[in-house]
Amino acid sequence: MDHFIKDKQYNVGYICTGQQCEAGFGDKVAMRWLTPHLEQHDYTFNELDRTTARFANVLCGLGIAPGDVLFTLLPKMPEQFFAFLGALKQQAIVGTLFSNFGEEAILDRVGDACASMIITKKSFLKKISRIRDKLPTLRFVIAVDIDEHLSDGILSYSRLMEQASDVFRVAPTRPETPSLLHYTSGSTGKPKGVLHAHRSILMQQFTAETVLGLTPDDIFWCTADQGWVTGTSYGIIAPWSMGVTQVHFAGGYNAEEWFRILQNQGVTVWYSAPTALRMLMREEAGLYTSFDLTALRHVCSVGEPLNPEVIHWGRRTLGKEVYDTWFQTETGAIMIANRPGLEIRPGSMGVPVAGIEPAIIADDGSFILDEAPGNLCIKVGWPSMFTTYLNNPEVYASRIKAGYYYTGDTAYRDADGYYWFRGRSDDVINTSGHLISPFEIESTLIEVSEVTEAGVIGVPDELLFEKVVAFVVLHGQVAFCRELELKIRLHVSNKLSSVATPHEIICVGSIPKNKSGKIMRRVLKARYLGTDTGDISTLED
Amino acid sequence: MDILAELTPIFQEVFDDDSIIVTRQSTANDIDAWDSLTHMNMVMAVEVRFKVRFALGELPALKNVGDLVDLVQKKLNKK
Repeated sequence: MDHFIKDKQYNVGYICTGQQCEAGFGDKVAMRWLTPHLEQHDYTFNELDRTTARFANVLCGLGIAPGDVLFTLLPKMPEQFFAFLGALKQQAIVGTLFSNFGEEAILDRVGDACASMIITKKSFLKKISRIRDKLPTLRFVIAVDIDEHLSDGILSYSRLMEQASDVFRVAPTRPETPSLLHYTSGSTGKPKGVLHAHRSILMQQFTAETVLGLTPDDIFWCTADQGWVTGTSYGIIAPWSMGVTQVHFAGGYNAEEWFRILQNQGVTVWYSAPTALRMLMREEAGLYTSFDLTALRHVCSVGEPLNPEVIHWGRRTLGKEVYDTWFQTETGAIMIANRPGLEIRPGSMGVPVAGIEPAIIADDGSFILDEAPGNLCIKVGWPSMFTTYLNNPEVYASRIKAGYYYTGDTAYRDADGYYWFRGRSDDVINTSGHLISPFEIESTLIEVSEVTEAGVIGVPDELLFEKVVAFVVLHGQVAFCRELELKIRLHVSNKLSSVATPHEIICVGSIPKNKSGKIMRRVLKARYLGTDTGDISTLED
Repeated sequence: MDILAELTPIFQEVFDDDSIIVTRQSTANDIDAWDSLTHMNMVMAVEVRFKVRFALGELPALKNVGDLVDLVQKKLNKK
C-alpha cells in the first residue's frame, strides 16, 4: 500500500504535485477546469506544483506555522485546490467548508478549531464580518476575487500570490502529522471536528486503485463538493496521488451538460451521488441516446444507500454498471464497496475493502451472526482512520470500544459477506449525503421570535434519501402563514446552511418530550409517517 | 412596478449577499449561494413579495432572471 512513498515523505501536498512531476507527469493535465459555461482551462501537474508552492509561501510569509488551522469557504473553483494542497505542503491543517454554510455553521467550526485563516470569496465577507469579533484567533481572511488588500486582516489572494515564490521545499512529513479537518454532525451538541493525518493518503490511493479502478491513464470526474470528505479524498487527493487527470465542473446539476462533459471529456470513471443519479433517472430516457459514452467504463456512487432501481437504470439506459461505495468522514476512505470484478448485489453496500475488518456488534458488545442487524463497526487501525475529534476526546473514546470504531450506522451481513445498510443508530439526518444534526436545526428554529419550541426529524424521500421536516410551536397569538414560513426558512438557510432548511414546516400545539425534557423524535416520526409510536410510557404528560 | 429592481433586495436577503445586483441575464451561475435549496427560498420570497403563486411546471422553464420577471409580470397582469 505504501509503494509510492519515497524517502518516508508522506506529505499529501507534495505527493499530489511535486512527486507527480518527478515521476514524469509534469506536462500532463492534472485538472481540466470547466466553468459553468463549459469554458475549459487546463492545469498541468507542473502548474499545480508551482501554484501550490506559491500558496505555501504565502502562508509562510503571513506567519502561518505547521499545525495552524485554516479553512476554505469557497464554491468549486481552482483556488480551492491550490489553497488546499498549498496549505498541506506547508503542514498547516486544512478544513473545507461548504460554501452554503451560514454564519452560525461557520462560527461553530472556525471557532472550535481556533483557526488562523479563512480563504473565501468577496460574496461571503458579509457573513464572516458578522461573526469575526467572536473569532479571536482568526488573523487573516483571504479573498480570491479582490484585487487589493482591504485591510490588514482582509487580503487579496492575487496580490499575495504574485509576490510569492513558486519554489517551496516541502519539509519531511510524518504519517501522523495532522492534515485535514472535516466537521461532522451528531444528534446532540455542536458539530465535531474529525481530524485526519497525512497517512490517510495510503488508503485513499489504495481504494482509488482497487475500488474505483483508477489507473494513471484515466480521466476521472468526481462531482462531490470539496466541503465533503469525498470531495477531498477522491476529488483531490487519491487521483492526483496517482497522476490521474481530473475533470472539475463549476456548474450545478444539469443533465444535458453533465452528459456533454462525460462525452466530450472522455471521462472513463465517474464518481457521483445517489441523489444526482436519481435526478438523472427522472430525465427523459431519450436524452441519453444522443451521447456517446463509450469511454466511460463504470460509475461509482457514495453518500447514501443506492437504490437497486439506479443500478438497473444504469445498465438499461447507459449500459454501465453503477457501484455503490460506503465510507464516512471518520474513515477517510472507502471501507465497504461494490466494485468492478465483483458480483453486484443491488441495494447492498458491497464487501469490505482488503484489509478492512468490519463487524456487526450488538449494544452489549457481543458479535452478531450473519443476517441479523446491529451496529456497524470497523476494527481500528486502518491507514485512513481519523486521529481524534478535535477538542472532544470523550466523544472519540465513546466511539471506540474493545478495539472497534462504532460508525453510528446499523447494518447486517449476509451469508456471502455482503453488507446491507439498515439505518442510523442516532437521530442524524442524511439528506442528499449531507449529515445534518436535528439538534442544530431545532436550536436555530427557536431563535425565530415567533417560535417557542421545535422538533426536527428526517423522513424517507425518494430523491434525497431523507428530507428535513420541522415541527414548530408558535407563541400564543401568532398565526402560521407564508410570510412566517419564509422567515423561518431564510433564518435556517442563512444561519446554518441551505441543506439544513426544512422541506416541510408543520405547526403543532406541542412537541412530544420525555419526562427529562428530551424531544422524542421517534414519536414525531411515527406520527408523520402514520406508523405505530411504540412505547410512549416515558412521554411527558 | 419595476419588478427587476424589486428583485435585487429580495435576492440580497435570500442569498445573504449585499453585493448582488440582479440583471435580466443573471442566472444561478452568477450567484454563489444559488443552489437548488436556496432556489426554493427565492421562489417563495418572490411569491410572498408579489402575492403570486407559481405552478410547479412553470419554474423549470425559467432560464434566467429575465424569464422570472416576465412570469411575475404575466401573473400580475392577470390580477
